[in-house]
Amino acid sequence: MEENQKRLEQNKHEKPMSFISMVVITGLVGGIVWSSLALLAYFFNFTEVRPNLILEPWALGDWKKGWIGTVFSILAIGVLSIGASLLYYAVLRRFNNMWVGMAYGIGLFLLVFYVLNPIFPGIESFWKLSRNTLITTACIYLLYGVFIGYSISFEEAERNVREEEAKESPVS
Amino acid sequence: MSKTQNKLPIPESLSEVESYMKNRIGLEDSFDLGVRKLKILKKNVHFYYVNGLCDTSPIVQIVKELVGINNSEKLSLQLQSIVENRIVHQSVEQVKTMDEVVDQVLSGLIVVLVEGEGIGLVVDVRSYPGRQPQEPDTEKVVRGSRDGFVENIIVNTALTRRRIRDERLRFEIMKVGERSKTDIALGYIKDVANPDLIKVIKKELEAIEIDGLAMADKTVEEFLVKQGYNPFPLVRYTERADVAATHLLEGHVLIYVDTSPSVIITPTTYFHHLQHAEEYRQSPGVGTLVRWIRFLGVAASLILLPLWYLFVQNPDLLPEALSFIGPNDKSNIPVLLQIFMADIGIEFLRLAAIHTPTPLSTAMGLIAAVLIGQIAIDVGLFVPEVILYVALAAIGTYATPSYELSMANKIGRLFLLITTAAFHVPGFVIGMTAWILLLAGIRSLNTPYLWPFLPFAPKACMQILVRRAVPGSTIRPSIVHARNRQRQPAKNG
Repeated sequence: MEENQKRLEQNKHEKPMSFISMVVITGLVGGIVWSSLALLAYFFNFTEVRPNLILEPWALGDWKKGWIGTVFSILAIGVLSIGASLLYYAVLRRFNNMWVGMAYGIGLFLLVFYVLNPIFPGIESFWKLSRNTLITTACIYLLYGVFIGYSISFEEAERNVREEEAKESPVS
Repeated sequence: MSKTQNKLPIPESLSEVESYMKNRIGLEDSFDLGVRKLKILKKNVHFYYVNGLCDTSPIVQIVKELVGINNSEKLSLQLQSIVENRIVHQSVEQVKTMDEVVDQVLSGLIVVLVEGEGIGLVVDVRSYPGRQPQEPDTEKVVRGSRDGFVENIIVNTALTRRRIRDERLRFEIMKVGERSKTDIALGYIKDVANPDLIKVIKKELEAIEIDGLAMADKTVEEFLVKQGYNPFPLVRYTERADVAATHLLEGHVLIYVDTSPSVIITPTTYFHHLQHAEEYRQSPGVGTLVRWIRFLGVAASLILLPLWYLFVQNPDLLPEALSFIGPNDKSNIPVLLQIFMADIGIEFLRLAAIHTPTPLSTAMGLIAAVLIGQIAIDVGLFVPEVILYVALAAIGTYATPSYELSMANKIGRLFLLITTAAFHVPGFVIGMTAWILLLAGIRSLNTPYLWPFLPFAPKACMQILVRRAVPGSTIRPSIVHARNRQRQPAKNG
């Protein structure tokens, strides 16, 4: 009975998160949310590129083209995205505005679609992609960049404010 | 207080006071101003009042008591203190300048003046015309309290105080408006609310320079957040006392404006406008479901029409499974024009419904539903799909809990429609992106508008997606910068 009681939501106590776990969660959620949106865009033929792209360089079974492959690739993008957000955290978190996040997103887009293009046989070379595909994917990367960048920079700014407050009034 | 010295002190002679009142506030010109003259212990005693704003029965009591002095007291030099002692009311105050006398009389209090003293006794016998608290029309719930705010600031603060009997609940009152002298109260809990926010709001309110606040809270909002032509609501209004109390406990600062039944909640984000008291009146599971369905409705009100129009333009975008979508009949008018006409038609109806008296609105509904909808299709003006999607978007608009937000989303929808029509897929995608970025860029009282989604705050975002159990949510939302983050005392465990 006691054990049961402890597991109920009502009896949990929330603690404020540490910064690094917030960064990791933001990366994971950002990757999953925006790649799901990309999947939706692929479904409606806005873009020729689907999230399954991420599994292409690896020789896996046929399942990687089915729905299991889609789920796995969204999760894989989520995990990769943790790396992207940690990188932002390490390098760019001091800049508290949205433009840096946008630039970061566009940078990632160029990295994947221009620089790393050769390792994905499934997508055409950068200049042969259709206009719709380029614009849609660029927009999704841009929003993803803002999501990661703005969140981390905002949290950094908030934490600084809180620390200063704690210095001024050392109550509790 | 140096200002008081410059103002005219109350003259000792009552006839001088009377002529001042005649010149300054039009005693005898205005019928609602009055003076009652009594003779007590051979001295003149005058009462100034505004009829309609004060309650007659305590005044009659006071007059009875004062006239009784003639029978029971001997002649005395201490008339002023005898009179003060005999005023049978709990709220009596002394004033020394004519400005205060005028202000108080026009607020509905009575002022008692004794010959040769130069002191006014202000008695609070105000009784403003107003209604009883009733359920607000815009925020109904199935269960829960039915007492909404009214047009009287005193009743409104009392309704809040009844829910939070905390010693640290503060209502700071100030008068704004050169002519209207409207009361504005700033409500917050002292050890919870962010002191910087309180300071900012107070400064903004004190800086308001206007002759009158006839439109009350809306005018105050425009001075406070300076939104210009940005259609998105930057503060939230509520007419429910329980919603107001909940936000106070979360650390928000509330602004009560006299003569308005809505209270301003600051700071506010986009997602505050998507919540409704009803969710907190159901179990957490049901509340969550209600909330998700509501999100769907809001999303439909925003993107359904542009998305459908995109598929009308480019049917090749549709996946195999959805290829049945699209206008099946040939239409005589371009679909875009049809959408705009139907959407504007619904807007006509909505505007008409606001000021149509109830007996006529039934007839209006009939005309709208039967005549316009069906017959517009029969004569070949609209294709049925247009009616369907425009109606869905309209219902989505009505499912938005905040009226202000639903209007702003409507503008967003029209904007997306135009970009889609002009640039097809890139128009839709870039339009959506621009819309999200614009929203993310708005800051209302230093709060990012799309918080907790953008910037992302994991726990607060969970609170938005899932209506959490109240005993589990022990931390106040970080965006209000509460001084005390724990809602419930943390037990060891």
